[in-house]
Amino acid sequence: MNAKAEKIRVASIDPSYYQAVTDAIRTEAVKLLSEEAVVAVVGYLPGRRTGTAVPGLVTTPEQAQQLIFSPACVNNLSLYLTKAKKGVLKKGKVAIIAKGCDLRALAGLMGESQVKKEDIYTIGIACAGVFGADSNRSGGLSEASIARKCRECTVHQPEGTDLLVGTLPELPQLTPLEAEELARLEALSPEERWAFWKEQFAKCIRCLACRQVCPFCYCEQCLCDKNRPQALESSPRPAGNTAWHIVRAMHLAGRCGGCAECERVCPMDIPLNLLNRRMAMELKELYDYEASTVPQEKGPLTRYQEDDDQSFIK
Amino acid sequence: MSLLITETNLRSLVDALVKDATLVVGPKLSGSVVLYQPLAAGDDLTLDELPRRSAKELYFPVCEDILTYKRENGKLEVRDIDRSRFPETVLIGAPPCDAGSPSILDAVFSWDYNDEFYLERRRKSTIMGIACTKGDDACFCTAVGLAPDAKGGSDLFLTPLVGGSFRCEPVTEKGQALIDKHAGLFSEGAAGEAVAFADQSTGKLDLPKIKEWLNGHFEDPLWESIADICVGCGACAFICPACHCFDINDEGNPDSGTRRKHWDACGFSKFTNHASGHNPRDIQNKRYRNRIMHKFKYYDDKFGKTLCTGCGRCIRACPVGIDIAEILDTINKKAEQG
Repeated sequence: MNAKAEKIRVASIDPSYYQAVTDAIRTEAVKLLSEEAVVAVVGYLPGRRTGTAVPGLVTTPEQAQQLIFSPACVNNLSLYLTKAKKGVLKKGKVAIIAKGCDLRALAGLMGESQVKKEDIYTIGIACAGVFGADSNRSGGLSEASIARKCRECTVHQPEGTDLLVGTLPELPQLTPLEAEELARLEALSPEERWAFWKEQFAKCIRCLACRQVCPFCYCEQCLCDKNRPQALESSPRPAGNTAWHIVRAMHLAGRCGGCAECERVCPMDIPLNLLNRRMAMELKELYDYEASTVPQEKGPLTRYQEDDDQSFIK
Repeated sequence: MSLLITETNLRSLVDALVKDATLVVGPKLSGSVVLYQPLAAGDDLTLDELPRRSAKELYFPVCEDILTYKRENGKLEVRDIDRSRFPETVLIGAPPCDAGSPSILDAVFSWDYNDEFYLERRRKSTIMGIACTKGDDACFCTAVGLAPDAKGGSDLFLTPLVGGSFRCEPVTEKGQALIDKHAGLFSEGAAGEAVAFADQSTGKLDLPKIKEWLNGHFEDPLWESIADICVGCGACAFICPACHCFDINDEGNPDSGTRRKHWDACGFSKFTNHASGHNPRDIQNKRYRNRIMHKFKYYDDKFGKTLCTGCGRCIRACPVGIDIAEILDTINKKAEQG
């Protein structure tokens, strides 16, 4: 283990940090539920297996005592808020536990009028990072077990929450593996890059886990499900798979908050976040736009301005 | 009678079968994922981990063509797929949770309709199962009546021995025939200590009792509490060795195209959507209930078998950590309390 890894292990695995965050979440959740300030708290509960946690929709102060926070709390819980997915807001105001990356999704959903700020109470977490999809979860968070997205996180300490819990020690700089992979792909010829993605999309089995965990995939009629006539081939074959993932990347451009849940849940290990990040780079370059933890009323692709760049029209 | 085969000879057996124009399928690393794939040579075989997807796709592929059509001079010509060209197949290196699934699925694919795509592949297949030494805390095969050394579904069965060789036992005539044909690769006398079998993370389940509870609890608060976090994807069903639902789509244009059969999942919201727009399973709880009911009640009612081999894949893959072993344990406890 090198010095960096040692540092993050010490920095983030110190059990007292997670215990303090867990305690703070429990105290706040119990208070909110007892005072009936919210009808539910969307948070994390311990899983049966070592190093796992599961999303939980907690509605009583007793259940709130079970809430936890640990590096196993990988899920972006904001997906549970939209009507298309779970619609928990139908029942009333809810509190939600949000890491920085989750908060960007919440801000995006507010900007798109899917969630109203006054309907939610955000408990933000100062988060050092979470486990990667296939990492060994028996130990703590380390350079070996941290998720790829967390290595380049810019929102460890999210702003704009109703409450922020946890105080992070100084975190080490980690090698940006994802940025390096993006740069590697960028340096390839278009033919080589196409070959890379063709191979990746060929693996897709269309379980649609990517769509189902995405907070922004809230379309009531997904083009994947359209079959009279088909918008794209729904069978898991290269043509339809490619169309699906490219269309999805386009639909997420200027919206994706970078939680990388699509990539984490893919049972075939398709590096979907690379597509999302590439789109984000495009948006930054063209419109100086970045997903943020603060709601923005209109994204660049849903707004028209007289002086919009039109040079692409030829 | 049991025999011995060294690891080198096991790989040579793959080479010999491939040379014989047999399709040999076994766990093979592809990128970051181990999958059951055609092996070009014995060296492709990896026995280090459970493949990400089950072996059901040998008989029930992710996607397959079932007919093609073409309109010529105003006449529509429909062509069947020539199933006689499906190759003889040997599945090698499947642990009991995978080797055991086709013998569960045979019942449904030859029930009111003979699915010749499935059945033709099954007739042409030989399964070499292997005792499981690689379990983790998602495994629960013993809880559903299997075991790391269960031979059910295998035509011949390998047991890894300390030192790297395998004990090989024929289970069916098909298995014996394969041994006879390649007798030179096996030796007699299979004494030796077996590698420790995989540990199981859960206790035994009382499946009849669970079924009895399910019989009386189509409506129960449990369904809401376990499924309120389910996001409705198909990951659990697709990687499951026993889930076998499929959709059929005509893909092409009015003049030519292909009818395709591909995996479907009861977790999808559109799975039971009627043409009228009515959806009898309109919320996720009802869909998740169907998953449990189908595996532990309906399939048993109809075919006398449980539609689960305890491989634990759904537990590992669920995006939100839904744990079927834990749910079964909860139902088991409820059933015991009456």
